[in-house]
Amino acid sequence: MSEGIDKQILDSYLTALFDTDKAGALRIVQEALDGGLTPEQVVFEVIIPGMERMIGGMISDNLVTLSQHFLASQIAEEVTDRLIPLFATVPEVRGHVVIGTSHGDFHGLGKKIVIGCLKARMFQVTDLGINVAPEKFVEQALAVGAEVIAISSMMVHTATGERGPKRVRQMLREQGLEDRLRIIVGGAPYRFHENLYIEVGADAWGDTAAQAPEIVTRLVREVRP
Amino acid sequence: MMTGMERFGALMGGRTPDRVPIVCNLLDQGARELGLSIREYYARGEHVAEGQLRMREKYGYDTLAGMFYSALEAEVLGCRNIIYADDGPPNVGHLVINGPRDIKSLHVPDELNEHPRFRELTSCIGILKKEAQGRFPVLGVVTASFSLPAMLMGVGPWMELFINGDSALRDSLLETCSLFCSRQIAALREAGADLIVYVDPLASATFIQLRKFRELALPWIIRDLEAHGPAGVIFFNGGGRINPILADIREHVGIGAYYLNPYDDITEARTLLGPHSLIAGTINDIRLLDWSPDEIEHEVEKIMLAGKRAGGFIFGTLLMPCGIPEENIRALVAAAIRHGNHAEAEAYR
Repeated sequence: MSEGIDKQILDSYLTALFDTDKAGALRIVQEALDGGLTPEQVVFEVIIPGMERMIGGMISDNLVTLSQHFLASQIAEEVTDRLIPLFATVPEVRGHVVIGTSHGDFHGLGKKIVIGCLKARMFQVTDLGINVAPEKFVEQALAVGAEVIAISSMMVHTATGERGPKRVRQMLREQGLEDRLRIIVGGAPYRFHENLYIEVGADAWGDTAAQAPEIVTRLVREVRP
Repeated sequence: MMTGMERFGALMGGRTPDRVPIVCNLLDQGARELGLSIREYYARGEHVAEGQLRMREKYGYDTLAGMFYSALEAEVLGCRNIIYADDGPPNVGHLVINGPRDIKSLHVPDELNEHPRFRELTSCIGILKKEAQGRFPVLGVVTASFSLPAMLMGVGPWMELFINGDSALRDSLLETCSLFCSRQIAALREAGADLIVYVDPLASATFIQLRKFRELALPWIIRDLEAHGPAGVIFFNGGGRINPILADIREHVGIGAYYLNPYDDITEARTLLGPHSLIAGTINDIRLLDWSPDEIEHEVEKIMLAGKRAGGFIFGTLLMPCGIPEENIRALVAAAIRHGNHAEAEAYR
């Protein structure tokens, strides 16, 4: 398939994402597959660039809304999950992340968007859900062999509280796990206070979901032997 | 010196008050004031009223918040589990809507005061109204029909429904939520609320594009306020940016006061709204957790400068986190009083 046609597919896909037209976006993906693009091409040349241009590329202009983020990430996750088993070779997993919202926090939207971004970038993600106890973050990270614990908080008290990321940090320290596991945080409070992540004991934070794959890649490198 | 009510009255009448009115949204902090847990505090309307009265007296701002926590609206509509924290607002722990059947069976009580939690809320407003003796406006707070479903079914599922879901089901849910919204406004007004803060985060430019706002959210803002009318209503951002939607709301709904997000530009808001609407400019109150008094002073001065240039200005906070030290709240209000007063701000400089 020629580059021109690929660009046309990507442009149509982006238009559907901007219009939050899920059915339209999925139809374009299917037509691309029917037209001869391989699953790898669809994921790496349509889905991922679409998601990254959508979520990352225009954020500085404040033109992209949460509903568009949500949709782009949701489609990326759905399509990637469906197409990876059809790849000619098994893709290399770039790292394993356990993710959840902090204890007492029932807001799962941000986490959902981040999961889509990470999965599309070939990270393995274990979703622990909402209102996750700090003990569970650590136990599950060890159980699945994750390198990164991702904690989402929508409220200040769940970001800074004693049962949030601070406690996870304390547990890693007490159990001698700090050289094996990294903590990344995200959510509204961190966007209003750029140094809050340090205060809660995290190694990094992501302003947008689109930044997550790059930051997590760095964190994984730091702990992988 | 004017009272808070006189300051708001002057602004709404197109006159300049002695200083910029200050809205300081301290909610859960009232529990600490009374030495109660947050659960104990919100159990009784009289506790909340006492907490609000004490905090207003202590810090000296201009309004009284007749509000408990947002999740109370979900309780009235059937939420069976509210999660209480030690240091933050109570949260929805049970989603009322888990499928289309729940939307169809969602019921708005004819008489909201029959619900014990709502009765505590209106009793709180009644006490505030009585104790205020006309000196400070009592604020009643309602969630817009377009945002309420996020509390009933979760933000993600609600987004899926309104973006790409069954439009008949979506409209059915919005009709129920709109009925609830307008009944709440009537009940809060009747209880004594002087102003209604109308909260619509999902309609903000942070959540949806302008085109979607016009298509999906704006008609429901019109509908929510149809019975009550826009008088005495303040459109509150709820944490999202609202400058891009201001002109539409002004034109189609006629609301006269807009409570901006800290990231909305005050000067731009004035241009978009024209000369007559009131604008509340907000400080990024999460930074009050660790800003020094000097940093607070500087930030307040900046906001006041832009606000006074814009005119028709109110100074406000979002929902102030519990962890903000008392000295920072005092520094905030003191700076707002100083820089909100034209003559004294000049003298201070």
